[in-house]
Amino acid sequence: MNFQEQFHTAFIAENRWKLYINGLGVTLTVAFFAGLLGILLGTVLALMKLSESEKGKFNIWNFLATAYVDIIRGTPSVLQLLIMWFIIMASSRNPVFVAVLSFGLNSAAYVSEIVRAGILAVGKGQMEAGRSLGLSKGMTMTYVILPQAVKNIIPPMGNEFITLLKETAIVGYVSMTDLTRAANKVSAATYEPFMPLIGAAVIYFIIIKVLTLALAALERRLRKSDLR
Amino acid sequence: MISVKNITKVFTDPDGGKNKVLDGVSLEVDQGEKIVIIGPSGSGKSTFLRCLNLLERPDSGDIFLDGERITDPKIDIDRIRRRMGMVFQSFNLFKNLTVMQNLTLAPLKLKIMKEEEVRRKAMELLDRVNLAEKADVFPASLSGGQQQRIAICRSLCMNPEVMLFDEPTSALDPEMVGEVLDVMKKLAEDGMTMVVVTHEMGFAREVATRVLFMDGGNIAEENTPDIFFTNPRTARLKDFLSSVL
Repeated sequence: MNFQEQFHTAFIAENRWKLYINGLGVTLTVAFFAGLLGILLGTVLALMKLSESEKGKFNIWNFLATAYVDIIRGTPSVLQLLIMWFIIMASSRNPVFVAVLSFGLNSAAYVSEIVRAGILAVGKGQMEAGRSLGLSKGMTMTYVILPQAVKNIIPPMGNEFITLLKETAIVGYVSMTDLTRAANKVSAATYEPFMPLIGAAVIYFIIIKVLTLALAALERRLRKSDLR
Repeated sequence: MISVKNITKVFTDPDGGKNKVLDGVSLEVDQGEKIVIIGPSGSGKSTFLRCLNLLERPDSGDIFLDGERITDPKIDIDRIRRRMGMVFQSFNLFKNLTVMQNLTLAPLKLKIMKEEEVRRKAMELLDRVNLAEKADVFPASLSGGQQQRIAICRSLCMNPEVMLFDEPTSALDPEMVGEVLDVMKKLAEDGMTMVVVTHEMGFAREVATRVLFMDGGNIAEENTPDIFFTNPRTARLKDFLSSVL
């Protein structure tokens, strides 16, 4: 088969392109909502970890958040997905929801460390200045610390999201058809692995390249406001 | 106005070593007084100042503001802090906000003043330190001296009854020290109650109603500035003065 025929077999024949499009849809949907869940839960975990208790007293929030991050980071994400699928959410009929939950809970652990580091990188004088004016801790956090922390958080957060996007490829383990599995299916059906696998790789690459460029532009804009 | 009774503070090093920074310090500050605290580094003077608005919590002892025990764990400390302005060595202007927003954030969010009123007050204050034209810029574009003058305005915008200064000129280039001290002198002339930790002996001489010498977590000596500088009693203060003057 020449290149054209291979291309035709891999993408056009039997409307196979629909398989990739649907797979890509699953990949993007899972990554997007898992990313959202990760940011929300991760921020909460970061604030729990940063919470202070009275001197010498046991800090339950800190303990829970630390335990959570340890457990998530200490186990493979494929295993977490399998556990979510076959044990915790075994009765769910919505595969995308289960995948979002699994990847979101996973991502939150990593996001929490990013957010925590981003908040800690804002000098402690900023909090003291807010408190010395009579603002509460929460108000100072909201109006002063978090807006500054966002600048520190965005670059590593982009990195985390890119990792997450690619990691969703493991949903094939629980028989969901994402972009990777779609390519794999086509290659198995046609006995021609080259086109579908390289094609899927190119699609991932393009999406991530676009994301990278968008993040770089966002970073540049945020840095500009430092100098105004 | 402020009454400090026998406060102590111990810092614990990461390796478990204990460092007694405040060893039973007491002080009475009356309305309108200008107290200047000097002393070698590590003598506890900054910690003492930071205890006054509970940025550091003393391990024991009590602090009263107009008779109210602010070291009471049940007290709403934010309400107390509104009455006490604080100026830091490193300015600590809010980097994400413009100069105007720095001044108006607390009065607006705490609903102390209406927006129009607080903006007018902020402009007045900025005008007083000759920085009205900087209202809409971000702190990063300002010199250290300008930032510190704005930090003082930010505290004043809350109409505090007392101002605490924690080495306000120590982080400044020499040529900017004067402009900040001038603002503080004006404030003193207007009758503000002030507690100032500083190394500026000239300022202490000129402005203070009382000068305290802290050493080893205690107030080792206190006096009016003329006696304090010309006729120190303790050997420690004599040594200190001869090394800084």
